[in-house]
Amino acid sequence: MEEMMETVVPQEDFDRNEQRYLRELELDGHASVEAKFGYAYCLVRCAHKQDIAKGIELLEDLAEHHPEGRRDYLYYLALGEARMKNYSVALNYCKGFLEIEDNPQVRSLQEYIQKRYDKDLKKGMAVAGGAVLVLGGILGLGMALAKNKNRRDK
Amino acid sequence: MSSAPYNYNYIFKYIIIGDMGVGKSCLLHQFTEKKFMANCPHTIGVEFGTRIIEVDDKKIKLQIWDTAGQERFRAVTRSYYRGAAGALMVYDITRRSTYNHLSSWLTDTRNLTNPNTVIFLIGNKSDLESTREVTYEEAKEFADENGLMFLEASAMSGQNVEEAFLETARKIYQNIQEGRLDLNASESGVQHRPSQPGRTSLTNEAPNTKDQCSC
Repeated sequence: MEEMMETVVPQEDFDRNEQRYLRELELDGHASVEAKFGYAYCLVRCAHKQDIAKGIELLEDLAEHHPEGRRDYLYYLALGEARMKNYSVALNYCKGFLEIEDNPQVRSLQEYIQKRYDKDLKKGMAVAGGAVLVLGGILGLGMALAKNKNRRDK
Repeated sequence: MSSAPYNYNYIFKYIIIGDMGVGKSCLLHQFTEKKFMANCPHTIGVEFGTRIIEVDDKKIKLQIWDTAGQERFRAVTRSYYRGAAGALMVYDITRRSTYNHLSSWLTDTRNLTNPNTVIFLIGNKSDLESTREVTYEEAKEFADENGLMFLEASAMSGQNVEEAFLETARKIYQNIQEGRLDLNASESGVQHRPSQPGRTSLTNEAPNTKDQCSC
């Protein structure tokens, strides 16, 4: 799963799919479902968040207007959101998918995202915990100083 | 990636291709898990599997990309051909149409891989003899004409599944030994992992990946 999640799209594929999408947009005023999906699929596997976000937007649009391919779009929405570190949104997509169809591929994506999410939460808690300690230290020092001051004033 | 010494000497990249419903994912599952997956849903885009095997006392990690057979994924799965050392091209012996489409799969494979990519033809579902539509002889002739390795296999019983994956690896390894594969070229689909610790810098990281998007 890590390979699936972390492999960044080869430049060549990205260029080919982007060109196809843009060409269709220019010529017909809209791109075909295939071109749109191909482009979105490349975008969600990009390294930069703004590209992934663009891919997510395209996939959301596809999922809304083309129910026949919804399962595929949901899967890549989950993948894209996970790559954006929006883990709870990503997990919701997995859950939505699994409610329609039990699928080992989606289950393993879900497990992977959940693991990432838990790790992130732990890290967040450690940071927050650290902050509390520091804050506590400052408050404690402040109180001690204030106490000292009170004593001196007396 | 961990800095621990690798427990394998080579990585070979494989792709599995073929029409929808011929049993590509089931073959992969049988190979990696040694189990038959019944009611296997259509693959979404690509699925990934690995297994470490041994050829000539060398440990080889197979990185297997299992592609969706559905037509609408054709554009996105094409990216996975590049840099494949082995291509397993699958048809279903009980559905002639899946056999008839082989030439189109083969054209894609030849166009998108390198000339040394080992192509192995698998006639899957050999357990379903009573509904067979493609004879062994016919497929064997097609394979010989096109220089492909060939076996009939069954993802359900497991028959010949190991053999197909392992023989492909043996052939790739033989190509390396005979100097036909340039291991420094990412499109060879082979990466050499020195087993001594501290020398891992010689290896290529994931080939052909894009560092950043242009927009």
